[in-house]
Amino acid sequence: MSPEEAIALAVFLGVYAFIITERIHRTVAAMVGASLILIVGIIPWEKVPEYLDLETLLLLAGMMVIVNVSRESGLFEYIAIKTAKLSNGNPMKVLLLFSVVTAVVSAFLDNVTTVLLLTPMLLYITKRMDVNPIPFLLAEIFASNIGGTATLIGDPPNIMIGSAAGLSFNEFLENMGPIAVANIFLTIAVVYLAYKNSIKVTPSKRKEIERVILSMDEEDAIRDWELFRKSVIVILAIVAGFFLHDTIGVKPAVIALSGASVMLLWSGVSPERALEKVEWATLFFFGGLFLIVGALVETGVIDAAAGKIMELIHSEAQAIFVISWFSAVSSAIVDNIPLTATMIPLIKAMGSSVNTYPLWWALSLGACLGGNGTAIGASANVVVLGIAHREGIKITFGEFLKVGALIMVSTVALGSLILWMRYGL
Amino acid sequence: MVNFSGIILRKFKNIAGSRYEEIMKAYQEFFLTEEELQIPEVKSILLVLDRFSGEVPEEVFEVLSAYPGARIEVVYVIDEGLCSIIGETLGEEEAEAFRKSEESLGRELLRVTERSLSKFDLSFSMEITFADKVEFVENDAKNRDILVVSRHFGSESTKTHRISPIVFRIVQGVKKPVIVY
Repeated sequence: MSPEEAIALAVFLGVYAFIITERIHRTVAAMVGASLILIVGIIPWEKVPEYLDLETLLLLAGMMVIVNVSRESGLFEYIAIKTAKLSNGNPMKVLLLFSVVTAVVSAFLDNVTTVLLLTPMLLYITKRMDVNPIPFLLAEIFASNIGGTATLIGDPPNIMIGSAAGLSFNEFLENMGPIAVANIFLTIAVVYLAYKNSIKVTPSKRKEIERVILSMDEEDAIRDWELFRKSVIVILAIVAGFFLHDTIGVKPAVIALSGASVMLLWSGVSPERALEKVEWATLFFFGGLFLIVGALVETGVIDAAAGKIMELIHSEAQAIFVISWFSAVSSAIVDNIPLTATMIPLIKAMGSSVNTYPLWWALSLGACLGGNGTAIGASANVVVLGIAHREGIKITFGEFLKVGALIMVSTVALGSLILWMRYGL
Repeated sequence: MVNFSGIILRKFKNIAGSRYEEIMKAYQEFFLTEEELQIPEVKSILLVLDRFSGEVPEEVFEVLSAYPGARIEVVYVIDEGLCSIIGETLGEEEAEAFRKSEESLGRELLRVTERSLSKFDLSFSMEITFADKVEFVENDAKNRDILVVSRHFGSESTKTHRISPIVFRIVQGVKKPVIVY
């Protein structure tokens, strides 16, 4: 192993260790690692733009601006109250509707924002129903991660995969959409079976909660009607743009950035205010990681690892199962963003021996659904558990693991089976 | 042993941070305070009726069904003062006819109310009484947890006011929560 290879590997492993333990912020860890790579000169300065995946960074930035501006209008609170009202105080309906709405919203918008806005409403309803809030919170977490698998923009790993492999929005929807739909119903069924005794309410409680919910007015949640209408129009236009981007030959990142520009121009929201809320920490984390993994590609470590893996894998079917299960188990333990960043060049390097097309779906499946396995597997898990903790509801790591691992295993099994039937047979 | 709870909270701070506080602030007006979340114990409810009240809407019973175990006392009040005035001016016969007509109206209204109360499986008792409407309600409500009254209670046949002056006086005078329908 050359000194450069050793440094690239040591930086990569060191940054991973900090990301797992969270002793220092993941962005800081990634930035320090990237700086070391650049100082040592493993990646020459001219090659930096090549490794920094601008498409992923710009798509994320564009979507962040859109979400932050539309959030000001009260759009998400409107959705939360509307969902609560549709449930009529029936716990089964609350479980089903909140899961489906969370999945649909997270398929198009960022998971953390979705759960940040829906969890307070869910906690409020379960408190009024006087039922155990844990199954409802868990279903919401699982739904947000599953919903994210369905589209190109649903989850950061999908954005990275789409950009690296040149996959379109419609291809994602066609391949991952059916898996997400099947998995969401499987998850609701598992959560229901695991907690069926604690999601029952007495008829009088149900009447009471129905009365309380019906007294809420979703229109009161809208802080700015004008902005609300504009947000809905821009979001619908962006979604339409994503559906058509392949046909019109425009990159998803361009659509997101155009949407963000139109939103800023039309709404009149101060750009300083809108851009202030862009998660720069996340974007710099991505940038740092791209350079750290880029160093592994540049030094040939990735090629060597891919060669070793290919000695063990003999068919596409085997590759589908190995990649989906490996990435699922790994992303249950480590952040799925660095995992995806590492797996992308690996799969690209495997392109010389197998057809990598189904492998991208296997990676997306594992990276997104693996997050359901443990309490720290995905950002949405941490956010919901954090809110619950602040509200005095303790969901222990072990308690989460019992249901989460079951959900992860069953959803990845179902997903990889669907992929195998489609591409491996 | 890794402190997972510490990791979760540290990560939460990094990922959600102040956004959570902002959202809680935005939702504040929809959330009830801790005090409001405590539903007061309700054991006894007074539902007063008279000839102007009319039938009690179903929504009222739905609301009352939110207090399981509470006993509802339904009282049809006939204005005693009016009976005396009729007796003094038009004679005792006319006063008796008025009493009978009022009682029959009361029984009919109580029958309809009884059907609804039974439908919602509520525990209740019923009576017809002769009294001064305001005095009766003010005195009886002292021993109840909630008072339920129609906005036309003690009104006149044309129902000129949106809320009858008697109901206004009751709402101002009674210290217990009042549901006006």
